Amino acid sequence: MSAIIPFFQWCDNSFIAQSIRNSRVAFPIIENFHLFALTVLLGSLVVLVLRQFGLVYKAQPISEVASALRPWNRWSMAVMLTSGILLFLSEAMKCYGNTSFRWKMFFLFFALLFQFTIYNRIVKNEGASAPIGGKIAAAVAVCLWFGVGLAGRAIGFLG
Amino acid sequence: MSILSMCQWLQDTNIGTSIRESIWVFPIIETIHVLALSISVGLLLVSDLRLMGYIMKRRPVSEVYEQIKPWMFIGFAIMVVTGIFLFWCQAVKAYNSYFFRAKVVLLVLAAINALAFERGIYRTVDKWDNALVPPMEARVAGWVSLIFWLAIITCGRTMAYTF
Repeated sequence: MSAIIPFFQWCDNSFIAQSIRNSRVAFPIIENFHLFALTVLLGSLVVLVLRQFGLVYKAQPISEVASALRPWNRWSMAVMLTSGILLFLSEAMKCYGNTSFRWKMFFLFFALLFQFTIYNRIVKNEGASAPIGGKIAAAVAVCLWFGVGLAGRAIGFLG
Repeated sequence: MSILSMCQWLQDTNIGTSIRESIWVFPIIETIHVLALSISVGLLLVSDLRLMGYIMKRRPVSEVYEQIKPWMFIGFAIMVVTGIFLFWCQAVKAYNSYFFRAKVVLLVLAAINALAFERGIYRTVDKWDNALVPPMEARVAGWVSLIFWLAIITCGRTMAYTF
C-alpha cells in the first residue's frame, strides 16, 4: 500500500485541498451538499427497491419507475462524487490511515460496478413484477450503497 | 424551571448519560439518523417532485403520494426516535446551538406546510389528480416542503460542527 502514499500526499498538498482547509466554511458547506445528495441517491434507490418488491407503485412497470428516477439518481451520484472528492482532497492523509475510508472505497467500487454492469440493466427490463433474481439484485444494491454510507459515517467516528 | 435547567436535567438522566458516554451507542444512533434520511426525506422528495410536476407526470398525484406515504412515515418515525435520543444525551449543547433552534422552528414550519396541504388543496385532488402539472397551490406546497427539508438537513449537519 505504501506505493500510493505519494499520491495521497500530492492530494493533501494540492491547491484545492489547501483552499478547503484554509476556509472555515468550505468543508461544512461541501459536506452539506454531500448529505443532500446522499438523501436523493439512497432515496431514489429505496423507491425503486420498494417497487421491485411490489410494495409501491404496482400500476407502473418497474422499468418505468426506474427511468423516472434515473436522472435524480445520476445527478445525485455526480454531486456525491464531486463533493466526496473535494472532502477527500482536504483530508487525504487522514483518509489514508483510516480503516473506515478503505471500507468505504471498497463498497463504493463494488456499488458502482454492480449498478452499472448489472443492476441498471436488470431494472430496465423488468415489467409488472421482479423475478427472484431481480429482488436479490435489489437487495445487493441496497447493501452495497448503504455500506458506502455506513462506512462513510464511520470515517468520522472510528478512524 | 427554565428550559436550560430542564435540558441539563434531561442529559443527566441515566439514559442521557449512558448514551453520551458509550463508545458504540451514540455513533450507532447517529448513523441510523443519517442513513434514514433516505427513507424520510428521500421518499418525500418523490411526492414533492410529483406535486411540482417534475416526475411520474403520467401517474395520478394521489397514487404517487398515497403509496409512498406509509414508508415515508416509517422513515420519519426512525428520524424522530433517533433524533430524540441524540437530543436527550446532549440537550444543553443542542439548546445553546442556534442551528438546533432553527432546526426546531423549521420542523414546525414543515409540519404546518404539510398539514395546510392536506387540509387545503389536497382535498380537491380529484379535480387535478391526472394533471401533468398540478395547480399552483400544490406546486408551492411541494417547493416549500423541499426547501424546508433541505434547510432542516443543513441545520442538523451544521449544528454538529458547533458542538
